[in-house]
Amino acid sequence: MLSGNSRGGLMLVVFAALPAAAVADGSVVDKVYHPYVEQLEWELEWRAVQEQNSPASAAQRQATHRVGLGRAVSEFVFAEAYLVGREGSDSGFTIDAWELEALWQLSEQGEFLLDYGLLFELEKYRHEEIWEYSTTLLLERELGRFSATANLGVIYEWGDDIEDEFETAAALQARYRHSPLLEPALELYLGEDTRALGPMLLGMARLGSRQALRWEAGVVWGLDATTADYTLRAVLEYEF
Amino acid sequence: MKRAQQWACAVLCSLAAGMAQARTPVFELEIRDHLFIPEDIVIPANTKVKLVVINHDVTPEEFESYELNREKVILGGSKANIFIGPLAPGIYPFFGEFNPRTAQGRVVVE
Repeated sequence: MLSGNSRGGLMLVVFAALPAAAVADGSVVDKVYHPYVEQLEWELEWRAVQEQNSPASAAQRQATHRVGLGRAVSEFVFAEAYLVGREGSDSGFTIDAWELEALWQLSEQGEFLLDYGLLFELEKYRHEEIWEYSTTLLLERELGRFSATANLGVIYEWGDDIEDEFETAAALQARYRHSPLLEPALELYLGEDTRALGPMLLGMARLGSRQALRWEAGVVWGLDATTADYTLRAVLEYEF
Repeated sequence: MKRAQQWACAVLCSLAAGMAQARTPVFELEIRDHLFIPEDIVIPANTKVKLVVINHDVTPEEFESYELNREKVILGGSKANIFIGPLAPGIYPFFGEFNPRTAQGRVVVE
Protein backbone atom coordinates (compact mmCIF):
# COMPACT_ATOMS: atom_id res chain seq x y z
CA MET A 1 0.00 0.00 0.00
CA LEU A 2 1.36 3.41 -0.94
CA SER A 3 1.45 6.48 1.23
CA GLY A 4 -0.46 9.52 0.03
CA ASN A 5 2.67 11.26 -1.28
CA SER A 6 3.90 8.18 -3.17
CA ARG A 7 0.48 7.74 -4.72
CA GLY A 8 0.36 11.37 -5.84
CA GLY A 9 3.79 11.05 -7.45
CA LEU A 10 2.83 7.81 -9.16
CA MET A 11 -0.31 9.39 -10.61
CA LEU A 12 1.71 12.31 -11.95
CA VAL A 13 4.12 9.92 -13.68
CA VAL A 14 1.26 8.03 -15.32
CA PHE A 15 -0.58 11.17 -16.40
CA ALA A 16 2.64 12.79 -17.64
CA ALA A 17 3.19 9.77 -19.90
CA LEU A 18 -0.30 9.87 -21.41
CA PRO A 19 -0.01 12.90 -23.74
CA ALA A 20 3.34 11.69 -25.08
CA ALA A 21 1.87 8.46 -26.39
CA ALA A 22 -0.23 7.82 -29.44
CA VAL A 23 -3.71 6.46 -28.89
CA ALA A 24 -4.15 2.65 -29.07
CA ASP A 25 -4.88 1.14 -32.47
CA GLY A 26 -7.09 -1.91 -32.89
CA SER A 27 -10.08 -2.40 -30.63
CA VAL A 28 -9.62 -1.54 -26.97
CA VAL A 29 -13.02 -2.88 -25.96
CA ASP A 30 -12.46 -5.31 -23.09
CA LYS A 31 -13.26 -5.76 -19.42
CA VAL A 32 -13.35 -2.68 -17.17
CA TYR A 33 -11.19 -3.38 -14.11
CA HIS A 34 -11.97 -2.25 -10.58
CA PRO A 35 -9.12 -1.27 -8.22
CA TYR A 36 -9.83 -3.89 -5.55
CA VAL A 37 -8.29 -7.17 -4.42
CA GLU A 38 -10.06 -9.74 -2.28
CA GLN A 39 -7.50 -11.53 -0.15
CA LEU A 40 -7.37 -15.37 -0.36
CA GLU A 41 -9.50 -15.37 -3.52
CA TRP A 42 -9.00 -17.68 -6.50
CA GLU A 43 -10.68 -16.96 -9.81
CA LEU A 44 -11.37 -18.93 -12.96
CA GLU A 45 -12.35 -16.58 -15.78
CA TRP A 46 -13.61 -16.72 -19.34
CA ARG A 47 -14.20 -13.60 -21.30
CA ALA A 48 -14.94 -12.91 -24.94
CA VAL A 49 -15.10 -9.90 -27.21
CA GLN A 50 -16.63 -10.18 -30.67
CA GLU A 51 -16.35 -7.35 -33.18
CA GLN A 52 -18.73 -7.11 -36.10
CA ASN A 53 -17.56 -5.37 -39.30
CA SER A 54 -14.30 -4.09 -37.89
CA PRO A 55 -12.41 -1.79 -40.28
CA ALA A 56 -9.15 -2.55 -38.40
CA SER A 57 -9.23 -6.28 -39.21
CA ALA A 58 -11.25 -6.04 -42.44
CA ALA A 59 -13.12 -9.12 -41.21
CA GLN A 60 -16.86 -9.33 -40.97
CA ARG A 61 -16.54 -10.95 -37.56
CA GLN A 62 -13.58 -11.31 -35.22
CA ALA A 63 -13.69 -12.80 -31.75
CA THR A 64 -11.11 -12.92 -28.95
CA HIS A 65 -11.50 -15.38 -26.07
CA ARG A 66 -9.50 -15.39 -22.85
CA VAL A 67 -9.40 -18.17 -20.27
CA GLY A 68 -7.57 -17.27 -17.09
CA LEU A 69 -6.72 -18.53 -13.64
CA GLY A 70 -5.85 -16.05 -10.94
CA ARG A 71 -5.38 -15.70 -7.23
CA ALA A 72 -4.77 -13.01 -4.67
CA VAL A 73 -1.11 -13.33 -3.73
CA SER A 74 -1.36 -10.78 -0.92
CA GLU A 75 -3.86 -8.41 0.66
CA PHE A 76 -3.36 -5.92 -2.17
CA VAL A 77 -2.04 -7.86 -5.20
CA PHE A 78 -3.96 -10.20 -7.53
CA ALA A 79 -2.14 -12.14 -10.26
CA GLU A 80 -3.69 -13.94 -13.23
CA ALA A 81 -2.47 -15.90 -16.27
CA TYR A 82 -4.46 -16.25 -19.50
CA LEU A 83 -4.49 -18.18 -22.71
CA VAL A 84 -5.80 -16.03 -25.56
CA GLY A 85 -7.62 -17.52 -28.55
CA ARG A 86 -8.86 -15.74 -31.65
CA GLU A 87 -11.18 -16.61 -34.50
CA GLY A 88 -12.66 -14.71 -37.40
CA SER A 89 -15.22 -15.05 -40.16
CA ASP A 90 -12.39 -16.14 -42.47
CA SER A 91 -10.17 -17.99 -39.96
CA GLY A 92 -10.62 -20.82 -37.47
CA PHE A 93 -10.09 -20.70 -33.74
CA THR A 94 -6.46 -20.81 -32.59
CA ILE A 95 -4.79 -20.16 -29.28
CA ASP A 96 -2.31 -17.57 -30.38
CA ALA A 97 -1.10 -15.74 -27.27
CA TRP A 98 -0.55 -15.89 -23.52
CA GLU A 99 -0.94 -13.07 -21.07
CA LEU A 100 0.13 -12.32 -17.51
CA GLU A 101 -1.41 -9.62 -15.38
CA ALA A 102 -1.09 -8.22 -11.89
CA LEU A 103 -3.55 -5.88 -10.19
CA TRP A 104 -2.21 -3.76 -7.35
CA GLN A 105 -4.75 -2.12 -5.02
CA LEU A 106 -3.25 1.18 -3.86
CA SER A 107 -5.86 2.49 -1.41
CA GLU A 108 -8.55 1.14 0.86
CA GLN A 109 -12.00 1.37 -0.67
CA GLY A 110 -13.63 4.65 0.35
CA GLU A 111 -10.54 5.99 2.15
CA PHE A 112 -9.93 8.87 -0.25
CA LEU A 113 -11.93 10.85 -2.78
CA LEU A 114 -11.00 8.21 -5.38
CA ASP A 115 -10.00 4.57 -4.99
CA TYR A 116 -6.72 3.81 -6.78
CA GLY A 117 -5.14 0.76 -8.34
CA LEU A 118 -2.65 -0.20 -11.02
CA LEU A 119 -2.92 -2.99 -13.57
CA PHE A 120 0.18 -4.43 -15.28
CA GLU A 121 -0.31 -6.69 -18.33
CA LEU A 122 2.18 -8.54 -20.53
CA GLU A 123 1.04 -10.39 -23.68
CA LYS A 124 3.13 -12.47 -26.09
CA TYR A 125 1.89 -13.92 -29.37
CA ARG A 126 2.86 -17.58 -29.76
CA HIS A 127 3.65 -17.71 -33.49
CA GLU A 128 4.75 -14.14 -34.06
CA GLU A 129 7.42 -11.99 -32.47
CA ILE A 130 4.94 -9.55 -30.96
CA TRP A 131 5.02 -8.37 -27.36
CA GLU A 132 2.62 -6.00 -25.67
CA TYR A 133 3.02 -4.46 -22.23
CA SER A 134 0.61 -2.06 -20.57
CA THR A 135 0.26 -0.16 -17.34
CA THR A 136 -3.24 1.00 -16.52
CA LEU A 137 -4.32 3.37 -13.79
CA LEU A 138 -7.58 2.21 -12.20
CA LEU A 139 -9.80 4.81 -10.54
CA GLU A 140 -13.18 4.37 -8.90
CA ARG A 141 -15.58 6.65 -7.09
CA GLU A 142 -18.72 5.59 -5.24
CA LEU A 143 -21.68 7.99 -5.42
CA GLY A 144 -24.52 6.46 -3.42
CA ARG A 145 -25.73 3.45 -5.40
CA PHE A 146 -23.72 4.57 -8.44
CA SER A 147 -20.09 3.67 -9.04
CA ALA A 148 -17.93 5.38 -11.66
CA THR A 149 -14.78 3.61 -12.86
CA ALA A 150 -11.97 4.76 -15.16
CA ASN A 151 -9.17 2.65 -16.68
CA LEU A 152 -6.42 4.82 -18.21
CA GLY A 153 -3.74 2.77 -19.91
CA VAL A 154 -0.36 3.29 -21.55
CA ILE A 155 0.61 0.44 -23.90
CA TYR A 156 3.94 -0.42 -25.51
CA GLU A 157 4.10 -2.86 -28.41
CA TRP A 158 7.36 -4.21 -29.76
CA GLY A 159 8.90 -7.11 -31.67
CA ASP A 160 10.12 -8.14 -35.13
CA ASP A 161 6.57 -8.55 -36.44
CA ILE A 162 5.15 -5.25 -35.27
CA GLU A 163 6.10 -1.62 -35.37
CA ASP A 164 7.39 -0.54 -31.97
CA GLU A 165 5.09 2.11 -30.56
CA PHE A 166 3.45 3.60 -27.51
CA GLU A 167 -0.32 3.83 -27.39
CA THR A 168 -2.99 4.86 -24.92
CA ALA A 169 -6.43 3.48 -24.13
CA ALA A 170 -9.27 4.57 -21.89
CA ALA A 171 -12.36 2.80 -20.63
CA LEU A 172 -15.05 4.43 -18.52
CA GLN A 173 -17.91 2.69 -16.76
CA ALA A 174 -20.89 4.10 -14.86
CA ARG A 175 -22.67 1.37 -12.88
CA TYR A 176 -25.88 1.37 -10.85
CA ARG A 177 -25.84 -1.12 -7.97
CA HIS A 178 -29.47 -2.16 -8.26
CA SER A 179 -29.03 -5.65 -6.74
CA PRO A 180 -26.29 -8.29 -6.59
CA LEU A 181 -27.89 -10.17 -9.47
CA LEU A 182 -28.41 -7.21 -11.75
CA GLU A 183 -26.39 -4.04 -12.15
CA PRO A 184 -26.97 -1.99 -15.31
CA ALA A 185 -23.99 -0.03 -16.58
CA LEU A 186 -22.90 2.23 -19.42
CA GLU A 187 -19.39 1.88 -20.88
CA LEU A 188 -17.30 4.15 -23.11
CA TYR A 189 -14.08 2.99 -24.81
CA LEU A 190 -11.52 5.29 -26.44
CA GLY A 191 -8.46 4.33 -28.51
CA GLU A 192 -6.89 5.25 -31.84
CA ASP A 193 -9.31 3.02 -33.75
CA THR A 194 -11.99 2.83 -31.12
CA ARG A 195 -14.79 5.16 -30.15
CA ALA A 196 -17.48 2.93 -28.70
CA LEU A 197 -20.35 3.36 -26.28
CA GLY A 198 -22.99 0.98 -25.04
CA PRO A 199 -24.95 -0.66 -22.21
CA MET A 200 -23.82 -3.58 -20.05
CA LEU A 201 -25.50 -5.80 -17.52
CA LEU A 202 -23.43 -7.11 -14.62
CA GLY A 203 -24.30 -9.43 -11.78
CA MET A 204 -23.18 -11.90 -9.17
CA ALA A 205 -24.78 -15.08 -7.85
CA ARG A 206 -23.52 -16.59 -4.62
CA LEU A 207 -23.01 -20.35 -4.91
CA GLY A 208 -22.07 -21.06 -1.30
CA SER A 209 -19.50 -20.09 1.27
CA ARG A 210 -16.67 -18.33 -0.52
CA GLN A 211 -18.02 -19.25 -3.94
CA ALA A 212 -19.63 -16.89 -6.41
CA LEU A 213 -20.29 -16.57 -10.11
CA ARG A 214 -19.89 -13.09 -11.59
CA TRP A 215 -21.04 -12.24 -15.07
CA GLU A 216 -21.01 -9.31 -17.47
CA ALA A 217 -22.66 -9.03 -20.88
CA GLY A 218 -23.44 -6.22 -23.25
CA VAL A 219 -22.82 -4.49 -26.53
CA VAL A 220 -21.04 -1.29 -27.49
CA TRP A 221 -21.64 0.49 -30.77
CA GLY A 222 -18.97 2.19 -32.83
CA LEU A 223 -19.21 5.98 -32.80
CA ASP A 224 -17.00 6.56 -35.85
CA ALA A 225 -15.92 4.93 -39.11
CA THR A 226 -12.76 3.34 -37.66
CA THR A 227 -14.62 1.39 -34.96
CA ALA A 228 -16.44 -1.92 -35.47
CA ASP A 229 -20.16 -1.44 -36.10
CA TYR A 230 -20.85 -3.16 -32.81
CA THR A 231 -18.88 -5.24 -30.33
CA LEU A 232 -20.33 -7.90 -28.05
CA ARG A 233 -18.61 -8.41 -24.72
CA ALA A 234 -19.13 -11.13 -22.10
CA VAL A 235 -17.37 -12.27 -18.91
CA LEU A 236 -17.91 -15.23 -16.60
CA GLU A 237 -15.87 -15.44 -13.41
CA TYR A 238 -16.01 -18.26 -10.90
CA GLU A 239 -14.59 -17.06 -7.59
CA PHE A 240 -13.60 -19.50 -4.89
CA MET B 1 8.01 25.02 -13.49
CA LYS B 2 4.92 23.14 -14.59
CA ARG B 3 6.31 19.88 -13.12
CA ALA B 4 7.05 21.69 -9.83
CA GLN B 5 3.45 22.90 -9.72
CA GLN B 6 2.21 19.34 -10.31
CA TRP B 7 4.34 17.99 -7.46
CA ALA B 8 3.19 20.82 -5.17
CA CYS B 9 -0.43 20.01 -6.03
CA ALA B 10 0.13 16.32 -5.31
CA VAL B 11 1.73 17.06 -1.95
CA LEU B 12 -1.06 19.49 -0.96
CA CYS B 13 -3.73 16.99 -2.01
CA SER B 14 -2.03 14.26 0.03
CA LEU B 15 -1.81 16.54 3.07
CA ALA B 16 -5.48 17.43 2.69
CA ALA B 17 -6.38 13.74 2.43
CA GLY B 18 -4.32 13.02 5.55
CA MET B 19 -6.04 15.79 7.49
CA ALA B 20 -9.47 14.55 6.37
CA GLN B 21 -8.53 11.05 7.48
CA ALA B 22 -7.43 12.36 10.89
CA ARG B 23 -10.97 13.69 11.44
CA THR B 24 -12.67 10.45 10.43
CA PRO B 25 -14.52 8.94 13.43
CA VAL B 26 -13.27 5.47 14.32
CA PHE B 27 -15.49 2.56 15.44
CA GLU B 28 -14.29 -0.85 16.58
CA LEU B 29 -15.85 -4.13 15.58
CA GLU B 30 -14.60 -7.44 16.96
CA ILE B 31 -14.88 -10.98 15.65
CA ARG B 32 -14.97 -13.66 18.36
CA ASP B 33 -16.14 -17.26 17.96
CA HIS B 34 -17.43 -16.41 14.46
CA LEU B 35 -19.64 -13.61 15.76
CA PHE B 36 -19.47 -9.87 15.11
CA ILE B 37 -19.37 -7.92 18.41
CA PRO B 38 -21.32 -5.71 18.69
CA GLU B 39 -23.95 -6.90 16.24
CA ASP B 40 -25.23 -3.35 15.79
CA ILE B 41 -22.90 -0.44 15.23
CA VAL B 42 -24.51 2.99 15.40
CA ILE B 43 -22.78 5.66 13.30
CA PRO B 44 -23.72 9.24 12.43
CA ALA B 45 -25.54 10.01 9.18
CA ASN B 46 -23.75 11.73 6.31
CA THR B 47 -20.35 11.11 7.86
CA LYS B 48 -17.52 8.92 6.64
CA VAL B 49 -16.32 6.58 9.39
CA LYS B 50 -13.50 4.08 9.78
CA LEU B 51 -14.38 0.62 11.08
CA VAL B 52 -11.44 -1.13 12.69
CA VAL B 53 -12.33 -4.82 12.53
CA ILE B 54 -10.31 -7.01 14.90
CA ASN B 55 -10.45 -10.74 14.30
CA HIS B 56 -9.69 -12.60 17.55
CA ASP B 57 -10.40 -16.00 15.99
CA VAL B 58 -7.59 -18.05 14.50
CA THR B 59 -9.50 -18.48 11.24
CA PRO B 60 -10.06 -15.77 8.62
CA GLU B 61 -13.36 -13.99 8.21
CA GLU B 62 -14.72 -11.72 5.50
CA PHE B 63 -16.75 -8.60 6.23
CA GLU B 64 -19.24 -8.44 3.38
CA SER B 65 -22.14 -6.13 2.64
CA TYR B 66 -23.73 -5.38 -0.71
CA GLU B 67 -25.64 -2.51 0.91
CA LEU B 68 -22.36 -0.96 2.08
CA ASN B 69 -20.52 -1.97 -1.11
CA ARG B 70 -17.68 -3.51 0.90
CA GLU B 71 -15.86 -6.85 0.94
CA LYS B 72 -12.80 -7.26 3.12
CA VAL B 73 -11.01 -10.36 4.39
CA ILE B 74 -9.56 -10.18 7.91
CA LEU B 75 -7.06 -12.93 8.60
CA GLY B 76 -7.13 -14.76 11.92
CA GLY B 77 -5.48 -12.79 14.71
CA SER B 78 -5.27 -9.59 12.68
CA LYS B 79 -7.23 -6.42 12.03
CA ALA B 80 -8.35 -4.41 9.03
CA ASN B 81 -9.65 -0.92 8.32
CA ILE B 82 -12.92 -0.50 6.43
CA PHE B 83 -14.08 2.97 5.41
CA ILE B 84 -17.82 3.42 4.98
CA GLY B 85 -20.09 6.35 4.26
CA PRO B 86 -21.18 9.07 4.15
CA LEU B 87 -24.52 7.24 4.41
CA ALA B 88 -28.15 8.27 4.62
CA PRO B 89 -30.05 7.22 7.78
CA GLY B 90 -31.06 3.58 7.64
CA ILE B 91 -29.98 0.04 8.42
CA TYR B 92 -27.21 -1.60 6.41
CA PRO B 93 -26.71 -5.33 7.08
CA PHE B 94 -23.37 -7.10 6.83
CA PHE B 95 -22.23 -10.68 7.34
CA GLY B 96 -19.15 -12.86 7.53
CA GLU B 97 -18.78 -14.83 4.34
CA PHE B 98 -16.79 -17.62 6.02
CA ASN B 99 -19.49 -18.10 8.71
CA PRO B 100 -22.66 -16.52 7.30
CA ARG B 101 -25.04 -18.31 9.68
CA THR B 102 -23.48 -16.90 12.83
CA ALA B 103 -21.48 -13.84 11.79
CA GLN B 104 -24.13 -11.22 11.09
CA GLY B 105 -24.48 -7.59 12.01
CA ARG B 106 -25.93 -4.24 11.06
CA VAL B 107 -24.64 -0.72 10.63
CA VAL B 108 -27.34 1.57 12.01
CA VAL B 109 -27.04 5.07 10.61
CA GLU B 110 -28.80 7.76 12.64
